Amino acid sequence: MKNQWIEFLYGRVIVKVSGKGLERFLNVLTRNGLHIWNVKRHGTETITFKIRVQDALKIRKFARKSDCKISFLQREGAPFLLKRLWKNSGFMLGAAAFIFIIFLLSNMIWGIEINGAKPATEYQIRKELDKMGVKIGKVQFFVANVEGIQRKLTNNIGALTWVGVELKGTTYHLQVVEKNEPKKPEQFSPQNLIAKKKAIIVKMFVESGQKVVDIHDHVEKGQLLVSGAFGQEDNPELTAAKGEVWGETWYKSHVELPLVTKFKVYNGKEQQKHFLLLGNLEVPIWGFGKPEFKHYETEKNVHNIRFLKWELPISYVNKTIREREVYERSYSTSEAEKMALELAKKQIKSSLEEDAKIKDEKILHKAMENGKVILDIHFKIIENIAVGQPISKETPDDRKINNH
Amino acid sequence: MAKKWGQRVRNWMANKMDLPQDVMMDLPRITMIGQIHIYVENHRGLLSFTDKELRLLLKQGQLLIKGKGFVIKTILPEEILLEGKIDQVIYINDIAGGTK
Repeated sequence: MKNQWIEFLYGRVIVKVSGKGLERFLNVLTRNGLHIWNVKRHGTETITFKIRVQDALKIRKFARKSDCKISFLQREGAPFLLKRLWKNSGFMLGAAAFIFIIFLLSNMIWGIEINGAKPATEYQIRKELDKMGVKIGKVQFFVANVEGIQRKLTNNIGALTWVGVELKGTTYHLQVVEKNEPKKPEQFSPQNLIAKKKAIIVKMFVESGQKVVDIHDHVEKGQLLVSGAFGQEDNPELTAAKGEVWGETWYKSHVELPLVTKFKVYNGKEQQKHFLLLGNLEVPIWGFGKPEFKHYETEKNVHNIRFLKWELPISYVNKTIREREVYERSYSTSEAEKMALELAKKQIKSSLEEDAKIKDEKILHKAMENGKVILDIHFKIIENIAVGQPISKETPDDRKINNH
Repeated sequence: MAKKWGQRVRNWMANKMDLPQDVMMDLPRITMIGQIHIYVENHRGLLSFTDKELRLLLKQGQLLIKGKGFVIKTILPEEILLEGKIDQVIYINDIAGGTK
């Protein structure tokens, strides 16, 4: 028997023949090269068989010469199936639209939940999310991924310390930790102000308490600056000493700066590639060919495709390939020195409190070694050196002795 | 004359060259698979077909196949594949002249 599938593809017809001389009729058909199969007899005067569609038209010619009546019972095979499909294309369209809509709805954002934020911050977050395009009803593909949202939110909203963004199904859950600016503790307990560093005092503002040292005094670390005890010596009244004591302090810093530095920078050229990830197989959809860049970095964004509550093993991958260039920065010696000094200043500033000022800097030592500029710099800084120290019951007496 | 010569050559070739007889002498070649299939090559046409009986014309005589539930799976001018439950395969020689 020949391959049935070929006949299925071309289409076949079930023919019913009735009358006399059926066998003769069959012989005629076969001798004329018509392919017949599945011949069955039903009763004395009827047989049915299958025939190819292209032969079905020829069969009438032979039937006319014989005393048989033919009728076509059923049409089978791909062409008829397709015809029926086409006829019922509304159904197909409906089914396709249904699946498409479910897909779309499964990949939409349906909710944004924000936990742990004050109403004001929540409003701010919602506004920021709106700006990013994270809105209810948006399709997730066109929205930045979770890490991106997290980064943007923390960068753009000052009141946030940390925000955890999690995508659960179609809902974004945001867990927010706000910066709780610590309130200045109202100091009711008695305290002294002492020096936190060795310094020469430049300015003093005392709100409460009794000055123990004066401007131009040299103080050591831990030395008492403003006393919280005043009044009679045997029975002193205790208060919380408050104020600022500005002193000149000294720092030494060591900087090394190479004359030639190589940087890796992006030069702005990029290439987008789109893939469909099937299991582990990446099928490119758009953006073919190897990247034309010599040095490049690839950023990969994977969007999972969801169907109802299931995650499909298919995901959409978007790759951004950015060209990288090596940029060489070289300084002359004098430039390098300047830059090193700036660098040192920045380092010092970052380690100090914000209101500290650099009064003066002096280069103690300068050297060139292995293509590096090495500087030792001495900084004079004016900063608040006062820190509180609580007075315990015993300490007033000891301190008094020390002071006098 | 030529036909007779041809016949003789064929016969000689079949004998000497070890060729199958059915090819050389137009005999039917019948292949059966158990009771369920019968495949007849080199027949000369269908004489009668019901679900219990199939009669084929051969070059010499007829072939009668009896059984149950017959369905002709394929029929070509010289080949036929029959499916069903085959009980008997009978050669009929004496009425060869009468039918055709």
